[in-house]
Amino acid sequence: MLEKYMEKDKRMTAKEAVKRFISDGDSLVIANCLYSTPYALLHEIIRQGKKGLTVFQQGGIDELDQLILGGCVKTLVMAYNFRVAGERIQTVLERALRRGEIEIEDYSNYTLLTMLQAGAMGYPFLPVMSGIRETDLYRVERAFRGQKFGEVTCPFTGEKVVVVRGRNPDVAVLHVQRADRFGNAQLWGAMINSKWACLASHRVIVSCEQVVDEETILRSPHLTVVPGFRVCAVVEEPWGAHPSELLGFYDYDMVFRSLFFMQTMSEEGARAWMEEWVYGVTDRREYLQHYAERFGLRFLQELRARPYTSIPADYGATGRGAWDEEGVSFSFRTTREEFLRALEEKGGFVDGLEG
Amino acid sequence: MASKVRYTESEIIVAHAAKEIKDGDIVVIGQGIPMAAGVLAKATHAPNCVILTEAGLVDIRPFRNPLHIADPTCTRGYTYSCDMIDVFATIVNRGLVDVTFLGVGQIDRYGNMNSTVFGDYDDFRMRMMGAGGAPEFFGYARKAVLTMRGGRFVEKVDYVSSPGYLCGHGARERAGFPPGSGPKVVYSPRGAFRFDEESGEIYLHGVFPGHTVEEIKKEVPWDLKVADEVLELPPPTREEVELIREFAPEISAGRRLQLELSIPRILEIISGKGA
Repeated sequence: MLEKYMEKDKRMTAKEAVKRFISDGDSLVIANCLYSTPYALLHEIIRQGKKGLTVFQQGGIDELDQLILGGCVKTLVMAYNFRVAGERIQTVLERALRRGEIEIEDYSNYTLLTMLQAGAMGYPFLPVMSGIRETDLYRVERAFRGQKFGEVTCPFTGEKVVVVRGRNPDVAVLHVQRADRFGNAQLWGAMINSKWACLASHRVIVSCEQVVDEETILRSPHLTVVPGFRVCAVVEEPWGAHPSELLGFYDYDMVFRSLFFMQTMSEEGARAWMEEWVYGVTDRREYLQHYAERFGLRFLQELRARPYTSIPADYGATGRGAWDEEGVSFSFRTTREEFLRALEEKGGFVDGLEG
Repeated sequence: MASKVRYTESEIIVAHAAKEIKDGDIVVIGQGIPMAAGVLAKATHAPNCVILTEAGLVDIRPFRNPLHIADPTCTRGYTYSCDMIDVFATIVNRGLVDVTFLGVGQIDRYGNMNSTVFGDYDDFRMRMMGAGGAPEFFGYARKAVLTMRGGRFVEKVDYVSSPGYLCGHGARERAGFPPGSGPKVVYSPRGAFRFDEESGEIYLHGVFPGHTVEEIKKEVPWDLKVADEVLELPPPTREEVELIREFAPEISAGRRLQLELSIPRILEIISGKGA
């Protein structure tokens, strides 16, 4: 059974959200990757030392490496993870795999996300394109042994169809441009896996650049990627996706990422990076302060987005209610008194007792 | 009459790969050389091609070479914002993609590709980036164009991430892939390879200026078939080279030089000189 979260005001700190809603051994999906990656929340997960997570990751750049370095990951369900280094350099992921610390299950982007789509819809499975059968993604199984792919017979054509199992992660973490305090979260730009990752999960933690009033959401519902009743926590976290990018706010920070990749080529360098940027700060505010002290604010400012605004969608209509200014019904052309009289004479009133 | 043009290895690949796109094609593209080829095609002979990425960005017009398929150079003006399920389920899998471009890690003689792992799956030599969108792109686009920088030809791929002609001789169609789909051409820094329509086996189709058939055959661990008449492929034009450098200087430079050239800026920032 999916829970709904009806508290009017779900604002809290990243610390509180991660503490309350993520437990050791949970399955976690990183809702949106490449673009608007929820780094602030992920760093808090690492700081709190969450362990044994099964992580669903569509396409990572450096965030998976960070979770692995934090000792958070047990199982990785993954389609893609960026790598800079050539064959001679061991990546963080490779080192962890060799030491047997993590287990991996490889999928394609489509088959991985279809598991979450099925989960979001409450289906036990969904078909995927059967050509996947001809690849080693289908043949080689590890973490999901026996449960990775299945095959059903189409009841209409008799054709054999490859299916994936519906999956419902315990928690999704998402960073967006804006949300209201109830959790209606609005994201624009590359939507990637955001919607299905959130809707499949039991709990959704949203961080955002700005908490906005409900009016903003009411006037732009097409931008809401996950409805508030599915969201358990709202964390206001400016620069919460740095060093990834967020339209309307900032570009990716390539230099910062290069630093990560250079340092993580060795185990000691990787530990030092984590010490400096994750463990050495208590929250995102300190992280930004440290960034400014270390590199100068100018480089952060250089990442700031310049406006390229959307043309507002006009949600206007006549705005006509059931009764006009003169108290006449648009549908019946009667006044309220005439309407009551009609109810009295022809509507078949039933007498009841109030209270 | 003939004027000299100087170009890099990546530039000649981009210029030739771009010609695989026809005007009006729907094209799925990833980062790097493929994106540069797509943008070059759109800027020259194929202004009406529709470029999309699996991030859910359709009909993008990037103003510089993107770092990845969802970065802000892809999102300044595009006509359809959807998500990854929409791109695969309603466009790729339905067979609407005319051309897909992919980079090669490992490839065998029937065009099967590995972008997952070198060596044994568990006792690996190296983990590559992973399959990503490639299995479905490769499976269901009308044609796949492969670009190869640093990739290798192997007798047998260590892991099949994306299906080519499988074991050849019609195996791909028997497995249920759309008739006529599959890898059509591989561009390496030395030349172009195509696939025999009957057997599905790769053969050398043309060589780039300064390279020879013998030299290319040495890089392939089996007795590579060679076209009856191997074409001498032309260098990129001056206009093409200029467009590539304008849009994607990083691609022109290639990975090593790109890294070398970006180090000063990285050092400047790391040293805190921006404070």
